[in-house]
Amino acid sequence: MKKQAVTETQSSIVSPTDIIKQALASHEQVQISFSGAEDVVLIDMACNLGENFEVFSLDTGRLHPETYRFIEEVRNHYGLDINVISPDGDATAELVKRKGLYSFYEDGHQECCGVRKIEPLRRHLETAQAWMTGQRQDQSPTRSNVPQVQVDTAFSNDSNQVIKYNPLSEWRSGDVWNYIREHNLPYNKLHDRGYQSIGCEPCTRPVGPNQHERAGRWWWEEATKKECGLHMINVTEQS
Amino acid sequence: MHITFVKKILASGEPCQKCLDVELRLNKTGQMAQIDEVLIADERNANSPGMLLAAELNVPRAPFFVVDRDGVEKKVYTVYFKFAKEVFGQSGNKTEEAKEILNDNPDLDYI
Repeated sequence: MKKQAVTETQSSIVSPTDIIKQALASHEQVQISFSGAEDVVLIDMACNLGENFEVFSLDTGRLHPETYRFIEEVRNHYGLDINVISPDGDATAELVKRKGLYSFYEDGHQECCGVRKIEPLRRHLETAQAWMTGQRQDQSPTRSNVPQVQVDTAFSNDSNQVIKYNPLSEWRSGDVWNYIREHNLPYNKLHDRGYQSIGCEPCTRPVGPNQHERAGRWWWEEATKKECGLHMINVTEQS
Repeated sequence: MHITFVKKILASGEPCQKCLDVELRLNKTGQMAQIDEVLIADERNANSPGMLLAAELNVPRAPFFVVDRDGVEKKVYTVYFKFAKEVFGQSGNKTEEAKEILNDNPDLDYI
């Protein structure tokens, strides 16, 4: 096993390419998460740097047809095997039977995302050393503190520590699109129709000019709602 | 081993619903008997024991558990099902666990 050279949040900003280099040099294998959107940039960069990575996509069963076609396009363009991960059939069937196909409009997207994304992701990363995402700080209030490198406390366990790399965390949307255009990368055609952030079909919509990306995802929910946070600001305000 | 359970009182004075749910699970499974200490994190009082412990351990949310294994570093759990699995060996409900992981890591829903 390779020695892990990068294990925690770094104090200075490193270029995405250098973060990917460090990741590939530090682990026998890195799992790159590909959502079928502009995170194709990660695949392009990784293909130019090494071979010890695998690409996976979470097929929630509710993606746009354009996204499925784009995943296939990327597979062919780069000559890659893409591991398409599906949710547990029994758990999905149970959720749909109990609450229908659109329960997220009534009581939030967490339960559906839990079944269709998080559980399969947890299963996939159970024995992984490291994974990589296209998460950026400018995507959403919930991502404003995403570091370039972190110990993934969500998917690490007593017997396996998982390192999560977010090479694009310091980039803004414009940087990503400059890279896509300059390198002539394939991209999801939904972007041409006003979609900035692409997820499941029922939970994604195009956004208008000057609207934040987050406006196109779970728009019926409050963007910064964090029920479980300890809201120290309330104390400050009242004292 | 010393286990601390921290539950929250909201700024409105109401108990946190998630904390009540977790407490109910602890009682139903009999795990509450193995909790050594229950602290309140009162959002109206920064000096309440739970708020002080959260600040000391840099925990941004509640409920949470702190497990101190006799001299070994304190381990914090903000996901009940992970805590129950690792500390009590409870085989968890995968759906509930996944939902809790997402609640605890809101950035993950864009994956």
